[in-house]
Amino acid sequence: MTAVVETEGLTKFYGTRRGLEDLTLEIRQGEVFGYLGPNGAGKTTTIRLLLDVIRPTSGRATVLGADTRDPRVRARIGYLPGELALEGRERARDYLQFLADVRGGVSRGRIDELAERLDADLSIRMGELSKGNKQKVGLIQAFMHEPELLILDEPTSGLDPLVQQEFLAMVREARTAGHTILMSSHVLAEVEHVADRVGIVRAGRLVAVEDIAALRERAVRHVELHFDAPVPKESFEGLPGVRDVVVRGASLRCTIDGRPDALIKAAARYTVVHMVSAEPDLEEIFLTYYSEEEGRHAHAGA
Amino acid sequence: MPTLVRKSLGEYRRALIGWTVGLCAFLGMYISIYASMMNDPETFSKQAIAKYPGALRDLMGGMADIATGRGYLQAVAYQLLGPLLFTMCAAILGNRAIAGPEEAKTLELTLTLPIDRRRLLLERWAALALGLLAVALVTLAVATGASSAADMDVPFGSILAAHTGLFLLVLFFGTLTLCVGAAFGRKQVALAVVGVWGVAGYIVETMGKSIDAISWLRWISPVHYYLDGRPLYQGWPYGDYLVLLGATAVLLMTALLAFERRDVGV
Ligand SMILES: Nc1ncnc2c1ncn2[C@@H]1O[C@H](COP(=O)(O)OP(=O)(O)OP(=O)(O)O)[C@@H](O)[C@H]1O
Ligand SMILES: [Mg+2]
Repeated sequence: MTAVVETEGLTKFYGTRRGLEDLTLEIRQGEVFGYLGPNGAGKTTTIRLLLDVIRPTSGRATVLGADTRDPRVRARIGYLPGELALEGRERARDYLQFLADVRGGVSRGRIDELAERLDADLSIRMGELSKGNKQKVGLIQAFMHEPELLILDEPTSGLDPLVQQEFLAMVREARTAGHTILMSSHVLAEVEHVADRVGIVRAGRLVAVEDIAALRERAVRHVELHFDAPVPKESFEGLPGVRDVVVRGASLRCTIDGRPDALIKAAARYTVVHMVSAEPDLEEIFLTYYSEEEGRHAHAGA
Repeated sequence: MPTLVRKSLGEYRRALIGWTVGLCAFLGMYISIYASMMNDPETFSKQAIAKYPGALRDLMGGMADIATGRGYLQAVAYQLLGPLLFTMCAAILGNRAIAGPEEAKTLELTLTLPIDRRRLLLERWAALALGLLAVALVTLAVATGASSAADMDVPFGSILAAHTGLFLLVLFFGTLTLCVGAAFGRKQVALAVVGVWGVAGYIVETMGKSIDAISWLRWISPVHYYLDGRPLYQGWPYGDYLVLLGATAVLLMTALLAFERRDVGV
């Protein structure tokens, strides 16, 4: 499969301040890539480098097979800035039309269709839009020309839950159409239901790239089993992947890493009357990346 | 008209209308006072003018023949206040091209359009030049009309020559603002550069003429190329105007090169 975004040793220093260091990443055609990291991690820096708003200190990047410097390629990209600013007396609809004209036009009725889906009022002057409505205008301009590559910096910030759902539906549709999406976020929960892969960046460095499906398989799961009679704790201790076993009378609580197979087989020796298994909590894994990193640094420092 | 020029002109429209109205009111009012001044010749008699300190007279461009139509028009409209107001207009519009949107963070999205940075800057500059030209044309009409209504007896050709110089001067300062903004992305820096260069240039050209130690500085004062040829009296100072145009072109090239290689919005 061809790479839609490709970076090699991409590095950006703002003076002496590190924005991003040595990023080597490949985003494939047709995938949704979640780009995660805490505040100041370097997400916006990466995205601005890809759009040639800022220039790398070293390293290189290509988008859709072209150098980021090539302005023509930007007609095929939809971009939502992380710090979207819309100002002035111009009405949102006129501004969208201007952007559409410069990008070579959009299909008839496309703007209205998106506005309806996101419940955005385009007759308002841009300076008077609320934060969420600005974000909607930003999303409309990013999606309206049906670009092959969508680069969205914190797309859901400021949106109410219903609009967030609609936005996720739009992302899925774009993927179905074979388009590629790179979206950043602070929390996994925002992207885990649409993303195929996630990259985790921290303090300017990419610390992991994970497949969501694989992540889910490895995820920590909380499981609760209820039996018809009290069970001995020993039968559940030392099982592979089973941790934090707590037995209280006829009920058992534990967490499992990865597959539940060993636990199920052990439980099968008793009569199970009820079983509760929570959704895998990916956020926990996500957070362990930070603590692991922290641990390693502490170790190196010692 | 290219989309971006049209769009930029749309953004400038309100400011352009405001400044045009202001400048026209200024010109119309001051020029029309001429008639009443002439009815009271005492005000501008040689003796009355001689009472002003010499330095002040220098600063006002001599004021030697302020009782004539040409002298009055020069002193009131084309010497100091006219260029000052029009330059402020040009600097404010010049800042709207790059530095303003950059500080407001609206430039980022524009930059990610499929337009290369050189074209973006050129089209913004073209809108600035067209806007200033429109203001210049309307104010030219008002200056011509008001001065003939006040019986100043200054031929249109002379007013046109002086007004062209005014346009070239403000185009230079507008381009300077745009250039500094394109290089540094800060409105205040651009205004400071224009203010210092403009005011210092004016003082050097008027009061510094007679001071040997600084008179050479006149060559780097844009105001020199506007005032020195005395177009209202002597017609077109082609050489001086070409210098202003050339300097504007150099600034524009500088702006293109600086903007091309810069991080925007940091
Ligand atoms: N214009 C700038 N000048 C100096 N340093 C900057 C600038 N922009 C970003 N940085 C620094 O670069 C690092 C990465 O910032 P970046 O904006 O890319 O983070 P982010 O992941 O987008 O964070 P957030 O989630 O808060 O948006 C931070 O340490 C930040 O302080
Ligand atoms: Mg950010």
